[in-house]
Amino acid sequence: MPLEMMGLFSRRVSVELWRLWSVSGTRHFSIGTFPTGQVCSSRSFSSGRYLRTDASQPDQGDKIDLDLWKSVMRSQTAVDESIEEDKEQVKKGDSTDSPSGCVLAATRELVSMWRQAGKLVPDKITDEDVKTLAELTTKSSKKKYLKFLAIREGHKNKSKEKQEKKRAEREQRLAEFPETLENRPPVKNSFLMQYRDHWLDRLLGWRGAQAMNFGQPLVFDMSYEAHMTPQELTNSVSQMLEVESCNRRSLDPFHLHLCNLQPEGGYRQQLVKRYGEDAWDRLLITETPQRHVDVFPQEQLVYLTADSPNVLRTFDPSKVYVVGAMVDRSIQTGRSFATAKRLQMATARLPLDQFLRWEIGAKTLTLDQMIRILLTIKDTGSWEQALAFVPKRKHDGFYQEKRQSERGGTAARDRGDRYPQRDQRERQGSAREPWGAGRGGQDRGVSGKGVGMAWEREYKQPVTRIRSSQNSTSEDRRRTDKTRTPWYQQD
Amino acid sequence: MGATFLFQARLCLYGLSQSSGIIHLGKMCARTMCTKGIKPGERKSPPRKNDTTIRQTESFKVRQMPSFPTSVFAAGNAKRTTEMLKRKTALASLEQEDAAGDQPRRRGFKTDGLVAPDRPLSPTEWKKQLEEAPCSPERFDVHMMTLLFKTGAELDIAKSLLTFVALETGTMSYQLLLQYLTLCVKGGHDAEALDCYQIMRGAFPALETGASSLFIKAFSRTESWREALPILRDMKKVIAPSTRNYSDIISGALLHGAAAPAWQLYDEVLGEGLTPLPDTWRALFEGGARGGRAEEEGGMSPAEYGERLLGVLGYMRDNQVYPERNLADAIKTWFHSLPGHHWRGEWTTVSPKGVCKGCGSELESIQLTPEEYTHLEARVMADIIQGKDVFQKTTAEELESFKAFVKRKPVFDVVVDGLNVANIVKGRQSEMLLAVVCELERQGLTSLVLGRKHMLRPSASWDRRNMGLIQKKAHCFFTENTSEDDPFLLYATLHSGNHCRFLSRDLMRDHKACLPDALTRRLFFKWQRGHQLVIHGTVAQGRRVGFQMISPYDTIVQSTGVSWHVPYDDSVDRSSYEVPQSWLCLTNKP
Repeated sequence: MPLEMMGLFSRRVSVELWRLWSVSGTRHFSIGTFPTGQVCSSRSFSSGRYLRTDASQPDQGDKIDLDLWKSVMRSQTAVDESIEEDKEQVKKGDSTDSPSGCVLAATRELVSMWRQAGKLVPDKITDEDVKTLAELTTKSSKKKYLKFLAIREGHKNKSKEKQEKKRAEREQRLAEFPETLENRPPVKNSFLMQYRDHWLDRLLGWRGAQAMNFGQPLVFDMSYEAHMTPQELTNSVSQMLEVESCNRRSLDPFHLHLCNLQPEGGYRQQLVKRYGEDAWDRLLITETPQRHVDVFPQEQLVYLTADSPNVLRTFDPSKVYVVGAMVDRSIQTGRSFATAKRLQMATARLPLDQFLRWEIGAKTLTLDQMIRILLTIKDTGSWEQALAFVPKRKHDGFYQEKRQSERGGTAARDRGDRYPQRDQRERQGSAREPWGAGRGGQDRGVSGKGVGMAWEREYKQPVTRIRSSQNSTSEDRRRTDKTRTPWYQQD
Repeated sequence: MGATFLFQARLCLYGLSQSSGIIHLGKMCARTMCTKGIKPGERKSPPRKNDTTIRQTESFKVRQMPSFPTSVFAAGNAKRTTEMLKRKTALASLEQEDAAGDQPRRRGFKTDGLVAPDRPLSPTEWKKQLEEAPCSPERFDVHMMTLLFKTGAELDIAKSLLTFVALETGTMSYQLLLQYLTLCVKGGHDAEALDCYQIMRGAFPALETGASSLFIKAFSRTESWREALPILRDMKKVIAPSTRNYSDIISGALLHGAAAPAWQLYDEVLGEGLTPLPDTWRALFEGGARGGRAEEEGGMSPAEYGERLLGVLGYMRDNQVYPERNLADAIKTWFHSLPGHHWRGEWTTVSPKGVCKGCGSELESIQLTPEEYTHLEARVMADIIQGKDVFQKTTAEELESFKAFVKRKPVFDVVVDGLNVANIVKGRQSEMLLAVVCELERQGLTSLVLGRKHMLRPSASWDRRNMGLIQKKAHCFFTENTSEDDPFLLYATLHSGNHCRFLSRDLMRDHKACLPDALTRRLFFKWQRGHQLVIHGTVAQGRRVGFQMISPYDTIVQSTGVSWHVPYDDSVDRSSYEVPQSWLCLTNKP
């Protein structure tokens, strides 16, 4: 109430004053608030003359004093300057102006002015951030960095607000119902024993230990640190955390190997920082600065890379698959493939084209998607289930009608997937010469023994929870039409 | 469109061979100009009358079509091609419909519902507007000012808004003043901007970059342009000023006859590693044409000024800058204004053989000097093929075997990008490749076909017999399927010597980008323009294959002492990898 009144009052006052002003010059006047109640500093101007309260209404149009705002701002300047002078004296007193300090101060000032100019800039900025900002060379990079800081600050403030709210609610509840002996909430009575979190942890731990003894190894190649920006490195560390947790929780985990992990490298430092020293030591994975080719026999290793010419048809439990732990926001085609070529390793890519109607985006996947796919294919042997982890935005469902038509006998010959003889031949080839076999066909398998047949079996019985297409529905209709007409009426 | 091209091409040819009235394109046998021995300095000789006879004696010849205007490097070609392809796929019609259906994009939704007044309002009226406004009252002033700027309202309206705000709150936000300032500078109210400067300087501890740039622009247009210098100095403390800032001050200084500071700032721009704006150059040339006031402080003698301007032309030459038409105009005017000389400028074009149609002199050759050539060869090997990781594009063994292959074989005349050439006609790739190889063989050229190993696997598109014939008629090298073949193509061509060409439609931009420094990239582009053959038009079955002519002259700013030739950019469609076709010819005739 008081605020509103104040607002009304001041508005009226200022209007009145304006009338006086425009006719007879400046008087004593005070400025109050905007209607929202934002209190502004009031200023006073005085001149020698008195108010003439019976001044007439000003004519609109030409007679408005358009440059009035200038005098208002100038008079304000005079007041401000005296304050600023004091400040400057204080400043000069205590600061020893080194050139770097000067730059930092200027940067800070620039940030504050950008804030006033309505740019997306954080409200508070730490010295460290100012330093990073001053080191950025271009204006656009500075603006981008400030925008990033501002958005981050917004998120932080939001979550802080939420916490405050929760705390306030709890306190209120406690104030209303103080927790005394009589007032305690009743203990739940159940015939089921409560399952405790650490029991689950222990179970997962046993599984992890078993995987480390007997499980199939899965290698993450951590040698790409030099090819990533700091941001990309952070992202890949986040993805590695997800990889580890996903693997730990799975029914039959892999034995994770982090190869090429340099003890002093940024990769390891960040991992240890994110996990904490103790948790990192307790983790049931193997880390080594050695290369994967030194840890495992060459013929067992298969590098999974999107640029490989070979398609991985069947998941082979006797192989050791290698995944390059790299995040490349600007795509670096052939980076991990080059590594595989140099080390003369066998390579393979996931059968994305064979199963998915690919629409947009590169055929690179994140590390956590990779481990989910690999865990699922290992557990179920079904690519349909495994490739469900490929982001939906990149594709438009699985190929289904094609497979149905193949079942119906009108197989498309161009697939080249269903020739066990060729598979056999190529398998032998790949076993003898891991890389650079000369033939280099588009579809040389990296499959193991007897998998061609297994593949056939799975391939012919696709999982049917896949979106149906125009083709298949029409086929269905045809089929149902046939069933509707009795056999004796057909030719 | 094709008909017009043909017509234009005929026109060009008509100009060339005055003797024969009708030219049959198929029989046209323009020899390429292999000016191996000729150095740029030696080319001051008057145009040779009997051009063809001289050139026929040179060893190398490929049957070529005229380059103008369909050469892949001619300005606007890329745009034309995309449009043609669009029309072919009938995408154009769809897109046009889309464009018609699209409303102009809605932006600045915050100003929706606000109505800009058409006259200055009194504070009472503004108050009424404020109460009726749909946006929040605290942001009303800023939104209204934005709207005024967008609608291009008069300055008085904005002033009345400021007055209202000042009366209402006693102060003004920086953002509001900044927007007002933008309005002033856009409308050219420089005096008002200067007032604003005083006020903002007083009211706020510092200025941010946006306001500084606006003040620099405003000050540079007035007598007090020197005021802009301290602002620029302040900006430098936190941020590298943009070329636009420099350009504003330089033109301001030149407008007021202070040449020396302007050139000093120009040097600063170059020192920062920035490319000056065309506006800067224009201001410099226009300043030169006006004539400096040498006596005054900050002036410069005309001779010195002229030297500096010639330096600017040298910069354009070194950095392969093509001025736009208005800058070329300024250059022409400056040359005309030079006292004691009789420069005559002319807008002209250059004949396909590299003779200026204006003055009849021959332009610089596109061939590299031997030093440049060896430098480029080394760089291509080191940066394009090997790079940081040899395995990225090939393998170490493959590269070695290719080097041995090239050493073993005789020197090639043409290197063919097998897959690129073959894929011109989808479905019968091997036939296409065979046709090209046959044509090259008929012309008696040693050719190398580069491909990938999968081409040797017989299939519908890669016929076994055709591939066998190709291997008989030409030398062949097939890379792994996982390797790139273009780098090998470049290497083989460079290794075979200056006379060797390569045949591909690929503009090799991704490989050019692998080169680390701008100088080598320019060298590469120059070499590419002089050595890349492109198949002309479509190739029908059973007909001979023709090649686009390689232009024998370099498109670059050049001088012979008595003349200047400046290629200028008069088409909006020019892509960065194309060169302009129009020239400014300046001759000094006493």
